[in-house]
Amino acid sequence: MKCQSCGKREATVRYKENINGKKQEIYLCSKCADNMGFTDFSTMFSPMFVSIPEFFEEPVQKKCKTCGYTLEDYSKTGMFGCEDCYKTFEDTLDELFLKFHGKNRHIKLPKKKVNIKEDNNQKEIEELTEQIQELIEAEKYEEAAVIRDKIKELRGK
Amino acid sequence: MWFKEVSKDSDVVISSRVRFARDIKGYKFPIIMSDDEKRSVISLLENKIDKCKYKLLEMKDIDDITKLSLMEQHIISKEFVPNDLGAIITNEDSSIVAMVNEEDHLRIQAFEAGFNVDKCYRKLEEFTDELEKKVEYIKNDKYGYITSCPTNVGSGMRVSVLLHLPALARIGLLNKLLDQAASIGVSVRGLYGENTSGDGYMYQISNQKTLGMSDENIISGIKAIITSIIEQERKAREILNKDNIQFVDEIYRAFGVLKNARVMSEDEALKLLSKLRLGVSIGIINDVSLQKVQELMVDISSNTLKLIKKQDFSRQEELKTRANYIREVLN
Repeated sequence: MKCQSCGKREATVRYKENINGKKQEIYLCSKCADNMGFTDFSTMFSPMFVSIPEFFEEPVQKKCKTCGYTLEDYSKTGMFGCEDCYKTFEDTLDELFLKFHGKNRHIKLPKKKVNIKEDNNQKEIEELTEQIQELIEAEKYEEAAVIRDKIKELRGK
Repeated sequence: MWFKEVSKDSDVVISSRVRFARDIKGYKFPIIMSDDEKRSVISLLENKIDKCKYKLLEMKDIDDITKLSLMEQHIISKEFVPNDLGAIITNEDSSIVAMVNEEDHLRIQAFEAGFNVDKCYRKLEEFTDELEKKVEYIKNDKYGYITSCPTNVGSGMRVSVLLHLPALARIGLLNKLLDQAASIGVSVRGLYGENTSGDGYMYQISNQKTLGMSDENIISGIKAIITSIIEQERKAREILNKDNIQFVDEIYRAFGVLKNARVMSEDEALKLLSKLRLGVSIGIINDVSLQKVQELMVDISSNTLKLIKKQDFSRQEELKTRANYIREVLN
């Protein structure tokens, strides 16, 4: 079974939760489990000195590079500042989503009929097609062929 | 107007709505946007919407009573009312209303009377697909549509159905049923916001999960739950209606007060109209149409009433005006 968080690695940790009688089970790989703070025996018995320096250092507040938002801002408002927050706080969000939605990735979004890029191409193709018509009428076949190749290229994109 | 109509399963379902949250690439979220950036989003959208079908109104140009009336009809949120840097995009019959610069750049809602979730969805899809040809939404492969609040991430979709459940409440099954619904990931709210139990026994049922599920799955899940609640409410109504003179009496009394009272608060009106609605739905009262009751339930809200009467009035006058208005409609 694949890890329900990253969807890539094999799941080795089973996390069980029981909130008000509602049971939920999540299967994770050890790396994702680690990221989410579900400790296993090996880390519980790791040398205790490793964690001590943290007590002497100021905790570093993660900050979104684009909008300056911190997790503290989020917990005050319940909202994020910009789309890059979702990259900055990905680890926290993955954990949050897993608890809230039982999943932390969306399904593949259906492809929309026309996206912006195609739309622009479409316009260009129409213009070029008009040019071809003119060139053919003027019997300039070589130039028309060049433009025909250009259209082919645009369509292929 | 959609919210006054009578449609499929209208005996139990008042209205259906579907909402998409969408944000526009290149902008921060409204919560930290500057005034200029907000204006820029409004003018961008004003240029991109199809002007034949939709119009954009800036909030600062809408008068207070209209805004409050929109809030009473649950078309805009309470938080949105004082937002002068917001705008509303709407179509001719207000079956689509988008809030601009609320929590997200776009909160687009489609409404229908009765149990018509699919129609709402189709209309909404038409709006967002059309706009997406000209405006790029914020989305990525991992999380789907990205929104300001992480509880909307993924599909960005909320499907809500407003139900009238007086019979289940009366036979004491409502709380159990609503708890059950809540335990399978469906949220239940009284009509007036998060915590009220709903004075007129009106409850809004909506999906909580938005991530990792297709729109179709979310919709079919909600539809299945609603269908079963409708059936149970109908069963409860049948049981209540069987040789139960007390129950019939209660409905006629409500009708009597509505037809004769001289002063009436909004709360009282809603409670009585809720009983009348039930009486009309199951055929105890036949001289008023369900549509009329539905209209009244919308019109008696304080600001909507002011809008209809085209005047502002004091609290005391409001009570009188409401009672008069109801009498005129019912007699």
